Amino acid sequence: MLKLGVFELTDCGGCALNILFLYEKLFDVLKFYEIKEFHMASSFKEHDHLDVAIVTGTVSTQRDLALLKHARNHSKYLIALGTCATHGDVQGSVEGKIREKLEKVYGTKANPMKALDSKPIVEYVAVDYALPGCPYDKDEIYQVLMNIAKGVEPPKKDYPVCIECKLNEYECILVKREIPCLGPITLGGCDAICIKSGIGCIGCRGPLPKEANPAGEFEILKELGYDEEYIRRKFKTFARGELRW
Amino acid sequence: MSIEIDAFTRVEGNGGAEIIIEDGEVKEVRVKIFEGPRFFEILTLGRHYYDVPDLEARICAICYLSHSVASVLGIERAFGVEVPKEIMLLRELGLIGEFIESHALHLYLLVAPDLFGYADAIRMASKHGEVVNEGLTIKAFGNYIREVIGGREIHGINVKPGGFGRYPSIEELEKIEKNSEALIKFAKRAVGIFASQEPFGAKAEHYIATNDYLYGNKLIACDKESFDYFEHIEEKSLPYSFAKQSRYKDKIFMVGSLPRVMLKAEKLTPLAKRLFEEYKERLSKGYVSLNNLAQAIELVYGLERASEIAKELLDKGVEGENISVEPQEGEGIGYVEAPRGVLVHHYRIDEKGNIAYSNIITPTAFNHALMELSLYEEAKRHYGTLDEKTLIQKLEETVRAFDPCISCSVHLVKL
Ligand code: SF4
Ligand code: SF4
Repeated sequence: MLKLGVFELTDCGGCALNILFLYEKLFDVLKFYEIKEFHMASSFKEHDHLDVAIVTGTVSTQRDLALLKHARNHSKYLIALGTCATHGDVQGSVEGKIREKLEKVYGTKANPMKALDSKPIVEYVAVDYALPGCPYDKDEIYQVLMNIAKGVEPPKKDYPVCIECKLNEYECILVKREIPCLGPITLGGCDAICIKSGIGCIGCRGPLPKEANPAGEFEILKELGYDEEYIRRKFKTFARGELRW
Repeated sequence: MSIEIDAFTRVEGNGGAEIIIEDGEVKEVRVKIFEGPRFFEILTLGRHYYDVPDLEARICAICYLSHSVASVLGIERAFGVEVPKEIMLLRELGLIGEFIESHALHLYLLVAPDLFGYADAIRMASKHGEVVNEGLTIKAFGNYIREVIGGREIHGINVKPGGFGRYPSIEELEKIEKNSEALIKFAKRAVGIFASQEPFGAKAEHYIATNDYLYGNKLIACDKESFDYFEHIEEKSLPYSFAKQSRYKDKIFMVGSLPRVMLKAEKLTPLAKRLFEEYKERLSKGYVSLNNLAQAIELVYGLERASEIAKELLDKGVEGENISVEPQEGEGIGYVEAPRGVLVHHYRIDEKGNIAYSNIITPTAFNHALMELSLYEEAKRHYGTLDEKTLIQKLEETVRAFDPCISCSVHLVKL
């Protein structure tokens, strides 16, 4: 049996919860793994040595950072799971220094709980696998865990959402309805779920590595009449402004 | 001297508690929410209203639809938009899906292991597979509704000001009607299981809820007078927690399933109402642990109501037409009952449709003070008679009864 730990840093809880949403597939996973830490689901704790550590969320406090380092130092294989962990997600995109933000929200610059500016875990430790998505597609984590259990290197995705949109034969709403859609510059893997609802891709899987053309997308949206500030914010919502143009 | 609970388990998010002991007596308990702050109000400032419900959904995965619906209601009120009844019914259906998903998660996966004596539901499943399976089936059904209405199980994008991206099909509504009726028998069994739990925790002296069962345009307390949250509720920051505490007219109060069934029993569906009457005396004792029993009754309510709504929409037919939304300067509050209790989204929006002010108060923040009081009373009751490990277990059970959602609680703006 492989030893599995799920560590949740600061986030919405969705990426940890999504593991429970595997339902019967979770029981398949449990044929290979024994859960040693998963505080949302279990009071059981024993994480001195793990084969696989899944970490969700952003590093937003000193405590998060210590927990992350613990997970890294005690596991063979570390998976950064979800856009918080891989790109920083929405809390990572909030601009300003931590003390200014604390003052705006709590009315004091004091920081007794040691909050940090939210950053993805990939900025602090080396990860073996990064799986974005807010939340990720649960079949992806299922595949990755099963692959690891069987000693197979999990595949990595590298195509934009547009491909999945075309495969599903959805009408392009960016072109046809002039609705802002981040599909062309967002990493695929969600089966174009937003476009299924007739709504533009909001970019929750983070930017497509390498081939993205944010400058092109920026120009298209500008031509459609969206103002620069609007586009800038839309681009960086899930990815700390990493998309430049 | 103090006893530390370094992390509550089987709750959503990261929190713990410190029990301060002086002269051999429990002096004080502090509930520390150390989940990092997420600054949602700053995040939404200056953003175009259309994108805001999707952003707010990220506050919490367990109740993302409550957040998107509260956000949409706040935005529509700010613009003076009224949507037709079908759209409200579909939103209500979404909220019900969320209740079913969240209550089932809490009761079967998080609390039941305490009743049966296991560290988690997975370990419990070897002996009590049927209970765990029934729970997972109900939960999966709740998620199905969330997917149909919200667009996906977690963080859907389908709920929009003025209507929906996509409307459900006849087949989807038929499936909801059929399955919800079939699952009621499981939920009834859950009521039996949780009715057998011994009460614990503090007694809630004041309850607060929205004026309609699942959402509203005002809040109500025990006197049933409607009010806006800022009239009677005050929030304050604490040095040891990222979540604030609230008082209603200077008093500690409770939101959640127990307050809802107690304040709004007449709005329950027939079977849920009968079950409420059966356990009314017990529930009226007000111990926070009775929230578990109230949640089980609400599971029955949710399943009955889901089938009623699906039937009504199937009979009438869903038009599937959005109301057009024209931004204008305005202010609006959305009040929703999230599974854990009252949720408030309050916005001021400028004439271009950008958010100029936002305030969000979540159920866990409302309950924070009562949670502390409950831990204090439980710790006082058991300190000295139980060994530390068992004491901590007991205290964790008390926290669990609130079904706290810590991710939600940590991003409150100064009032
Ligand atoms: S990536 Fe999204 S779903 Fe996952 S924890 Fe972060 S906010 Fe939640
Ligand atoms: S731009 Fe959006 S709608 Fe158009 S093909 Fe790409 S993902 Fe689909």
